[in-house]
Amino acid sequence: MKHGNRIGSRLFIGLTFLFLYLPIFLLIVFSFNAGESSAVWQGFSLDWYVSLFQNRLIMESLYTTLLVSLLATAISTFAGTFAAIGLYSLGKRRRDALLVVNDIPMMNADIVTGVSLCLFFVAFFQGWGSFAQWFNSVQGAVELPERLTLGFGTMLLAHISFNIPYVILNVAPKLRQMDKNLVDAAQDLGCTWMQAFWKVILPEIKPGIVSGALIAFTMSIDDFVISYFTAGSSTSTLAMRIYSMTKKRITPEVNAVSTLLFLSVLALLVLNNVREVRQERRAERQEIREPSFFEKLSFRFHHPSFKWVRRGVTAAMGCVFIVVVVLLTGAAYSQPVVNVCSLGEYIDEELITIFEDRTGIRVNYQTAESNEALYSLLKSGGADYDVIVTSDYMIAQLIEEDMLEELDYAQIPNFDLIDPRFRNLPYDPENRYTVPYTWGTLGIIYNANMVEEEIDSWSALYGDEYAGNVLLINNSRDALGEALLYLGYSVNTTDEAEIREAFDLIADANARGVYQAKVSDQVFQKMEGGNAAIATYYAGDYLSMLENQADGVDLRYVIPKEGSNWFVDALCVLKDAPHYDEAMEWINFMASTEANLANMDYIWYASPNTEALEQYPAYYEENSEDGEPLDPELYEIMAPPAEVLERCESYVVLPQATRKLYNDLWIELGA
Amino acid sequence: MKNKRSWFAFPYVIWMALFVVIPILIMTVYAVTTQDPVTQQFIPTGENFTGMGVYLSVFLRSFWLAVVATLVCLLIGYPVSYWMAKEGPRFQRVAMALIMLPMWMNFLLRTYSWMSILENNGLLNQLFQNIGVIDLHNSAGAWLTGLRNSIAIRFTEDPDSFIPAVYHPIRYFQMIGTPGAVVLGMVYNYLPFMILPIYSVIVKLDGSLIEAARDLGADSARVFSKVIFPLSLPGILSGVTMVFVPAVSTFAISQLLGGGTQMMLGDLIEQQFLGGAYNPHLGAAISMVMMVIVVVCMVVMNHFGEGEEQAVML
Repeated sequence: MKHGNRIGSRLFIGLTFLFLYLPIFLLIVFSFNAGESSAVWQGFSLDWYVSLFQNRLIMESLYTTLLVSLLATAISTFAGTFAAIGLYSLGKRRRDALLVVNDIPMMNADIVTGVSLCLFFVAFFQGWGSFAQWFNSVQGAVELPERLTLGFGTMLLAHISFNIPYVILNVAPKLRQMDKNLVDAAQDLGCTWMQAFWKVILPEIKPGIVSGALIAFTMSIDDFVISYFTAGSSTSTLAMRIYSMTKKRITPEVNAVSTLLFLSVLALLVLNNVREVRQERRAERQEIREPSFFEKLSFRFHHPSFKWVRRGVTAAMGCVFIVVVVLLTGAAYSQPVVNVCSLGEYIDEELITIFEDRTGIRVNYQTAESNEALYSLLKSGGADYDVIVTSDYMIAQLIEEDMLEELDYAQIPNFDLIDPRFRNLPYDPENRYTVPYTWGTLGIIYNANMVEEEIDSWSALYGDEYAGNVLLINNSRDALGEALLYLGYSVNTTDEAEIREAFDLIADANARGVYQAKVSDQVFQKMEGGNAAIATYYAGDYLSMLENQADGVDLRYVIPKEGSNWFVDALCVLKDAPHYDEAMEWINFMASTEANLANMDYIWYASPNTEALEQYPAYYEENSEDGEPLDPELYEIMAPPAEVLERCESYVVLPQATRKLYNDLWIELGA
Repeated sequence: MKNKRSWFAFPYVIWMALFVVIPILIMTVYAVTTQDPVTQQFIPTGENFTGMGVYLSVFLRSFWLAVVATLVCLLIGYPVSYWMAKEGPRFQRVAMALIMLPMWMNFLLRTYSWMSILENNGLLNQLFQNIGVIDLHNSAGAWLTGLRNSIAIRFTEDPDSFIPAVYHPIRYFQMIGTPGAVVLGMVYNYLPFMILPIYSVIVKLDGSLIEAARDLGADSARVFSKVIFPLSLPGILSGVTMVFVPAVSTFAISQLLGGGTQMMLGDLIEQQFLGGAYNPHLGAAISMVMMVIVVVCMVVMNHFGEGEEQAVML
């Protein structure tokens, strides 16, 4: 009977491990896939590892992750140890009160900690800004920076503050166990306090310090939420990078980096386990069972020591720490930089390299999910961008709120190449703030193999025919705009009843399960792979999908009969941008015919540059693999003629009250 | 001399005030105010809290999914911990290492690995397709429809009015974007948080208590229900809090596996700060509510836990 039980229990444990490891195993297998799919095996290759090491964004984020975890671990271990010693020499009542506060970051949900720290930093920066302004105005000797933003420093502070409590919690029990008279005895025998600390206290509490450091490191490396809220825009940990990648296309480079991480941790564990077994055999006589380290992750059960993994990891961490510090000091932070943010996947990344090689200016390229998300980022003080790319109506709003800087067109000679059609548009009537980047239309993208008839109306988004296979676009302006068009209203209506009617249309369809998901750039992967039948997105993105569509997927693009939206996205510079001249250089480069041609070929959005527009069909033919000419139909989707644009309406900025209504309704939809 | 050492506590007290207490106070200020769009002044208001009723369904969904995930974690985690503690030390050590290992890969990586499995054209659906489960489902559905039609035809012209059609042929099982996928993601990520505390309590149980119970004539079931289970309650309670708190507040898991249609409290907060709807005041208010909820949970759990421990002592 005992045996039967054991087989059953082992089977259960085995199944649990299978559950824990199967996904990781698949992740690893697909890192060796020759194709880009994470679901279809296309042969063995190491390509993703090669491209991983060439992917600057991922490598930088990996470096940031390791750096912040190691620095936070080192600092919080040091600070936490002394704090614990301090706390233990206080009276019981005061100590207990302080320990309650100490528990707060551990008890609170990560998101609450992250949000409160984010608000704190932003409030502090505002206060600092006015102080620095005053300080700089009253004296001329020292110049204080007036503008601080979230970044690596704030993220590090956040990590340290959520790590310290874990260190204290691990050191404290050791201090409690220590014989208080030992220190006194040492001092009576002539030790200074420092000597007593090194010779008596430290050896006693060392196991607690080590396990505290390990937990701090684990917490740091596993963290996403707190970093996300405190790192601002120009710093990304690996987790943040992956999170933003899941919003568009995930490449198997992520699988490759996961595999490397997993294998290095696994190797460390195995090594230590082997050592451990050896040591244990030696120490068998002493009959001391070392409690497991994992108990300590639960703050209710702090346990004295943790042996396996300990020394090896400490040594490895020491080495990595030294390497990292050397790298950090070696890193050339003096290089000129320009921080750029655009919407989604919106540039031929080779252009960045070309620009960097030519000018020596480093480009820090970030993306935002939508115009609205970009606006939130700017408002919450998390962004330190110089140049942003955003859409017409959002530009108007930013100008209205005095958040944009006027451009110095003398430094942007390529502005002359911009087609007059795209100058002095209503969002920037005197053209003082913007240089157009791309233009195009919004339309329906559908998989002809998944629908029964040709789609030509927005009604496809609201009926039940394709329930579960429709993707709703994840921004309020487009989603409500489509519904307004379907109902025959203007996309710029401010009539609350009309907007509510449009909202009810969407909410009703949502309640009936019409929508599979709300998507932004995830639309690529969903539509290309045949995971959904109908989506609404932008013409240029349809053309990229067409390039990547899987077998059995037949994607079409249509501007519905009710009309649609046509947009201009433009480059602009934020108020008080720290790298203004570099920003001008970047904008000028992006407006050049060369950049526009390359970009058109890569992102498939039409350029506003007259030369590029004319030259593109020839450029396409020259660069395509078999010298195949550009399909005129596709060119028309990309750069629609005037009669198509006439059927479309462009967005204008909505009044404050309407914007609030849009926001509220949009949130309500998810609820 | 004692005083000299207590100076070490001083910097940390300041640190805590700065990075723990003040941020929460600032958050509170945001929660009870709103910003005037013209003057940029903060105006006191209770609107952020009173207007929260709209999001009741988000609150309910968050709680429901978190509770389900916690229960599933407990149902898997308890037997695993219990049986693991009965194995030899070597087995235990390896098993522990295996449970911990994924935690050193970031949880987003672990969640991402499920995306490719659960997609409509993902690995699991491909498997179902290949082993014929989907065909089986479709032909079973077709057979049932046929059966219904042949019965219904005797009573009415239109079979749908007899028993409405519930079956549609499918090409895949819809998994991603469902509440189930979100729960799965939570269970996958937080299971170690359930196993670790329970295991550490069970492994330390005093064997003589169990022996005593047996000597007094208790059978295995009674030993478990009267001795082992009550003694492991503190571990369960701590596991439950450690799973429930991150589960109720998650936003990445629900976005990756819920496809944005399973909005949870965390998503709602994120939307107000960095997402498509900028309103930090409302975000702060929801965070406050969440904080209160978590504290209440903790207090209840602790109270309940202490009561149990005392009962055991007696």
